[in-house]
Amino acid sequence: MRNFSYVNATSIEQVPSLLGRSWDDAVVMAGGTDLVGEMKDYAAVPKRVVNLKSIEGLDYIRQDDAGLRIGALTTLTDVLENSAVSQELPVLHQAVSVIASPQIRNMATLAGNILQRPRCWYYRSEDFPCLKKGGARCYAVGGVNTYHAIFGSGPSYIVHPSDAAPALMALGATVHVHGPRGGDEVLMDDFFTMPEMNIRRENILRPNEIVTEISIPKPEANSKGMYLKVRERESIDFALVSLAAQMTVVNGTCERASLVLGGVAPIPWRAVEAEDYLRGRRITEARAESAAEAAVEDAAPMPHNGYKVEIAKNLVKQAVRALAS
Amino acid sequence: MQQKMKKVKITIQEDGEPKEIEIEVPDTGEGGWGDLSKNTYINRPHVRVDAVDKVTGRAKYTADIKLPGLLYGRILRSAHPRARINRIDATAAMALPGVKAVVLPGDDPAVFSRECRFAGQEIAAVAATTPEVAEDALHAIDVDYEVLPFVVDEDAARDPAAAQVHGDRGNVGEPRVGEQGDIAAGFAAADVTLEASYRCQVQSHIALETHGNVCQWEGDKLTVWASTQGVFSVRGELAGHFGIPETNVRVITEFMGGGFGAKFGARKEGVICALLARKAGAPVKLMLTRKEEHLATGNRPSAVQHVKLGATSDGKLVAYERSNYGTPGVAGSANIPGAPYLYEVPNYRIEQTSVFTNAGPMAAQRAPGHPQAAFAMESMMDEMAEALGMDPIDIRQMNDPNEARRNMVAMGAEHIGWKTRRSAMPNAGTGRIKTGMGVGSCRWGGGGGRTQAECTINPDGSVQVKCGTQDIGTGTLTLVHMVAAEEFGLKIEDIDVRIGDTNYPYSGGSGGSTTAASVSPAIKGTTMLAKLELFKKIAPRFGVEPGELVASDGNVFVGSDPSKSMTWQQATAQLGDEPIFFHGQWLPGYSDSGVPGVHFVEVSVDTETGLVKVDRVVAVHNSGMILNPLTWASQVNGGVLMGIGYGMYENRIMDPATGYMVNANLEDYKVMGSTDIPEIEILRYDEPERGVIGIGEPATIPTPASIANAIYNACGARIREMPFTPDKVLSALAAVKEG
Amino acid sequence: MADRKQKAAPEEPKAAQGNGGTRFTRRGFLKGAGAGAVTAAVAPAMLVSGARTASAQEAEGVMAGTVTLDVNGQTHNVEVEARTTLADALRDRLEITGPKVVCDRGECGACTVVMDGKLVFSCMTLAMDAQGRKIETVEGLADGDNLHPLQEAFIEKDALMCGFCTPGFLMSSKELLDANNNPTPEEVREGLSGNICRCGTYPHVFEAVMSAAEKMRKGG
Repeated sequence: MRNFSYVNATSIEQVPSLLGRSWDDAVVMAGGTDLVGEMKDYAAVPKRVVNLKSIEGLDYIRQDDAGLRIGALTTLTDVLENSAVSQELPVLHQAVSVIASPQIRNMATLAGNILQRPRCWYYRSEDFPCLKKGGARCYAVGGVNTYHAIFGSGPSYIVHPSDAAPALMALGATVHVHGPRGGDEVLMDDFFTMPEMNIRRENILRPNEIVTEISIPKPEANSKGMYLKVRERESIDFALVSLAAQMTVVNGTCERASLVLGGVAPIPWRAVEAEDYLRGRRITEARAESAAEAAVEDAAPMPHNGYKVEIAKNLVKQAVRALAS
Repeated sequence: MQQKMKKVKITIQEDGEPKEIEIEVPDTGEGGWGDLSKNTYINRPHVRVDAVDKVTGRAKYTADIKLPGLLYGRILRSAHPRARINRIDATAAMALPGVKAVVLPGDDPAVFSRECRFAGQEIAAVAATTPEVAEDALHAIDVDYEVLPFVVDEDAARDPAAAQVHGDRGNVGEPRVGEQGDIAAGFAAADVTLEASYRCQVQSHIALETHGNVCQWEGDKLTVWASTQGVFSVRGELAGHFGIPETNVRVITEFMGGGFGAKFGARKEGVICALLARKAGAPVKLMLTRKEEHLATGNRPSAVQHVKLGATSDGKLVAYERSNYGTPGVAGSANIPGAPYLYEVPNYRIEQTSVFTNAGPMAAQRAPGHPQAAFAMESMMDEMAEALGMDPIDIRQMNDPNEARRNMVAMGAEHIGWKTRRSAMPNAGTGRIKTGMGVGSCRWGGGGGRTQAECTINPDGSVQVKCGTQDIGTGTLTLVHMVAAEEFGLKIEDIDVRIGDTNYPYSGGSGGSTTAASVSPAIKGTTMLAKLELFKKIAPRFGVEPGELVASDGNVFVGSDPSKSMTWQQATAQLGDEPIFFHGQWLPGYSDSGVPGVHFVEVSVDTETGLVKVDRVVAVHNSGMILNPLTWASQVNGGVLMGIGYGMYENRIMDPATGYMVNANLEDYKVMGSTDIPEIEILRYDEPERGVIGIGEPATIPTPASIANAIYNACGARIREMPFTPDKVLSALAAVKEG
Repeated sequence: MADRKQKAAPEEPKAAQGNGGTRFTRRGFLKGAGAGAVTAAVAPAMLVSGARTASAQEAEGVMAGTVTLDVNGQTHNVEVEARTTLADALRDRLEITGPKVVCDRGECGACTVVMDGKLVFSCMTLAMDAQGRKIETVEGLADGDNLHPLQEAFIEKDALMCGFCTPGFLMSSKELLDANNNPTPEEVREGLSGNICRCGTYPHVFEAVMSAAEKMRKGG
C-alpha cells in the first residue's frame, strides 16, 4: 500500500472540499474493508483518504410512514440486527446476512457495500493494468472468465459484487448523494452505470460526491421478498449469482415483480423481461419457467461462465414459485 | 519378573560411514509398547502440553520474533512468466530513508538468476526499518526485462512447438514406465473394458504462517528462527551456502504455523534473509506475503490421467493401462504412484511424464501423488462396478489384496449404513436436492527412523529430554512428554522436554507421516536405556538385578515385591552428584509403515445450482498403535478436510494469456470455512502389535474420490475433473439429461 | 469552516465514552504524540508543520504520527504511518503478536480483534482509526492466570493444532458467546465463518465452543 494523507472529516458539508477532481487525488473511506484491500493491491493509490467515520450522526435507521431511512455509516451488522428490516424487508435482511463474515459486517457500511469496487481478479491484481484502472484491455476477454459477466456487452466484464445493492434495487430504494452543490436523490435504478458510460467507475458518483443516506419505500401490502445467493463456498464468498426478488401477489396473480440479479453484470441487473412477463399473470409452474427463461433471454455468456445462465434462470424460477405460494 | 532383553540391530555413524551394530535392549513385547491397558499416557488422550501458550497468544512463532534493531525484508519477484533481466536499478530504493540493505542478482548468482522462468521468481531483495518502507523500496526498484514467450498450461506445453521452459531441453520430461504381465492378453481376456480421463488441479499448501525466517549474524555465526518442518535441513543448506561449518548455524523452531510438505530446507527466501542480514549488519525478518506463498513456495502438481481398465464379468480386474502427465511448474516431478493404485491387477502398463511450465515449482504436499491417483482409480472402480452391475464395495473387496483395508471397508459400510441408506440407483429421488453416498480408499507408507535423543536424569529427580525434532502442529512435543513420562512413571509436567533447535540431537524433517514413528521410538529407546542406567545404580540397594526394577507412579520398586520401594527422588538421590546422561536413537520394533484408510461420504447435490455439499464423512483409519487418540483425531479431521478442499474448492488458476496466477489470495483461492464443514465420524482400526504409524497423510487421500462417487450416486453425473464446482456439476448434469 | 471547526474542537481529546467520542481527531493525535514515550523522530515522513493553520493541516491530513492505542486495558503510544494497519501496529510496534497476519485481506480471520465491543479484522483497520478505541486481543482473554472458559475448552477438546488461527477463532468465539451463550451448532458455524483454519480443527472448535457455552451458562 502506498502511503497517503489521512483526513478526518467532521461534517458532510466539509467532505466535497476535502475530495478532489480525480479519484487519484482523494477517496472517502468508511468501513475500509474494500478500500484498504484495494490500496494493498495498488488498485487504488489515492494521495488522500478522507475518513467519514469521524462525521457524527450518519449511523441511523429511522422508520416513518414512507419507509426506512438508513444513514450511510450504518454498519451491515446494524442493518442485519434491525427489527424493522428483518420484519418488513426480508429481502434486504437475507441479503445482508450472507455478506462476507461477522467481522466484515461489523466494519462495513451499507453505503460502502453498494459502492464496492469490482472483485474481478484482474482488477484486484497489481499485475494487470486493466481497463478499470485506465489500462487498454479487459483481461477477462481471452482470459479466465469463470466469475465474470453474462450480461452487458463490455468493454469491461466485471460483475457488481454487492449483495445489498440488488436487494435495495428490488425494493425501489433511493440513494442520497451530497456534492459541492448540495444534496441530491437518485433512484437505485439510475445510480449504477454500465462500463460503456463510464469505464472507470460503476455508478454516477463524481470524485467529490458521497452517499449520505439510502431510503427505502415501505413495500406494498401483499408484497413479499426473498434473497437467494449461490456461492461456491458458504463461508466468506461473493455470489456466483444472486437474486433479490420482491413480488406483490394477490390471489395467485402477480401484480408486480421486482427481480434483480447480482453477480452477473457490471451493475445489479434488473430482469426487466421477466418482470414484464409476470405482471398481471397468474403464477403457475409453467409461467415460473417462462419468467426464468425471459430473465436470461439477453444473456451472452463468456467461454467459462455459461453455467451462470443456468443458475440465474433457476434462481428466478425458485423465487417466483416461492413468493407466489 | 526379570525384564527380558532382546538384541536389535541399529545403524550408527562411524567415521562418517553408516555401520550396523547389535545392541541389547529391554524386550517390551510385540509392537514395543507393552500392555496398553496399564498405561497412564501412551494410547490415552492427552491435551497438548503447549496448548496454554497457543490459547493465550504467548506462543511466539517465527513471524512473531522481534529482536533489537530488527529489519524487515522483502523479495522483489519477476513480473513476467518468462523474461531475461537486462538491467536492474535499485538506486532509488537504496536512497529511501530506512532502507538498510539491497541484494541484487549479481550479489549471489546461486540464489538469483537473470533468467526468469515464472512470474514470482526471486530477483532482488531489500531490508528496511519498517515493513512499509521495505514495500516502498520494492516498488522503487526499476527492472528492465526482455519479455520472452512462455507457457503455463500443461496441455499447451506438451506441444513441441510450445515456448520452451528450460532452453531446448523440451518441456516433457523422461517418461517413467511401470509394467507387469501382458496387457494385450489382459485386455483380450476382459469382458468389460472402460476408458476415461481424469483431471486433478494444482493445489496450494496454504500454511497459515507463511514461509519465513529471522536471521541474525554474529561474526560468522548465524542464528535463524525458521518456520520450517526440518530445522536440520535449514542448517545444512545455510551452512553449505555460506561456506561455514554447521556448528556455526543454529536453527530454532519453537512454534510453527503449519507446513503440509512445503517447508523443508532454507529455501531461497531463507538464504535471501541471511544475505540481507549479513549485508545490513542487523537481524532481518523476512516473512513471505500470501501472494508470494501461492506463487513461489510449492504446490501439489496437477495430474491428467488417461485410464483404461479391463475386468472379467465377475468383477476381477485383469488389465490396466494408464498414461498420465502433470505439471510441477518450472521444476520437480509430477509423478504419482507407479502401479495400479490399491488393487491387484495382473497385467498393467503405466507411463507418466512431468510437463514443465512457466509456473512456480511444486513441493511435496500431504501424500504426494496419492489423492490424484486415488481420484482416478476409485472413480474408475465405481464406473466399472456400474458397468458390471456390481455394488461398488463388492468389486473393491474382490480385488483388494489388503486384508486390513477390506475389514475397514466393511466397518465403514456398516457404520454409515451403505446397504440401507445408499440409493441403489443413481439419480434416485425427486426434488432438486439429491443425496448420495460414495466410498474411496487409500494406502500410505510412513515408517520411522533418523532420530536421536538425549536424556538426563539429575540427582534431584528432574528429567530432561532433548530431541531436535519440531512440532509443526501435529502434537510432537506432547508425544515426547507422554513417552518419557510413561517410561519413568512420572507425570508429564515432571519432564523437561526441549525440541525445535539444532543444538539438540538430530531428527529428520516432519513429513511423510514419519514424525511420530521416528520420534517416539527414539524417545522410548533413549529413556528406557537411561532408566536402565539408573536401575543399575539402584538395584544393589534392593539386592536384585536392574531388570527386576519398575518405575511407576513416582516410585521405583521391585516388580515381584512392590513393598521393596523408594520414591523416584530417593532413587535418583543415589546418583550422588553425577547425573545419568544417555544419548540414544531410534530403535526398530516400536513402529511400522504401510497403512490403509477408507472414507465414506454423504453429499447433497443441488441440481439447479450445481452446488455440492458434503454432509457427512465416515473416516476409517489405522495407525497401528495410536500414541495420543486426541491429537490423532485432530489429524484425521484435518486430513479429511484438506481432501474436501482439494476435491471441492481449491484450484490454482493460471491465466494462459498472460501467464499469471489470478487467484493468489484467500478470496478466489477458496479454503473451506466453518459453514462448509461436514459432520466427521472417525472409526479406529487398531493394530497395536504393529507399533506407531503416522496419520497425517492417509487421512487426506481418499476424500475427493469418495465425493465424486457420492455425487454420481446422488445425481447420476460422473465428474472426472476436480474441483467439483457448480460449473462442472451443471455441465455433467446437462450431459446426463441429454443422455 | 475553519473557525467552526476550531470552536467545535474541545481542549482535551474526548474521553473514550459513547459512540463518536473516541474518534481520532487532529487534536487527539498531537496530544498523543506529545505525551508519548516514543520519540517523534522515528517517523521520517512526519508531515506535521507548525507553520500551517489548523484548517490547512486538517485538509492536508497526516501521513504519519503517534497514535494512542488502548489494548487490553493498557495504553500505548505508537509511531505509525497513515497506511499502517492496526495488525501491523500491534504486531511489529507493540509486540502484541496474538493477532496473526495470514491473508492480509480480511479473508481469513487470523488477525481478528475486538474493537469497541465489535469483532473486526485488524489487517483491514488503519491504526489511526483505532486511536482511543478499546481494543481486545487474545492476550487479554484470560483473567491473570485464570483462563477463559473458551480457552479451557479449546485445550480440552484439542481445538487447535499449529495454533496460528487460534487467537482469531478465540476472539470470534468469545463475541459469539457474549451475544448468545446458548447457540445452536449452526449459529456457532455462522459466527466463526470469518475464520479459516488450514490444519482442519473445525470439528473440535465447534465442540469446544459448545462446551464452553454450557460451562458459561452454568456460571463456570
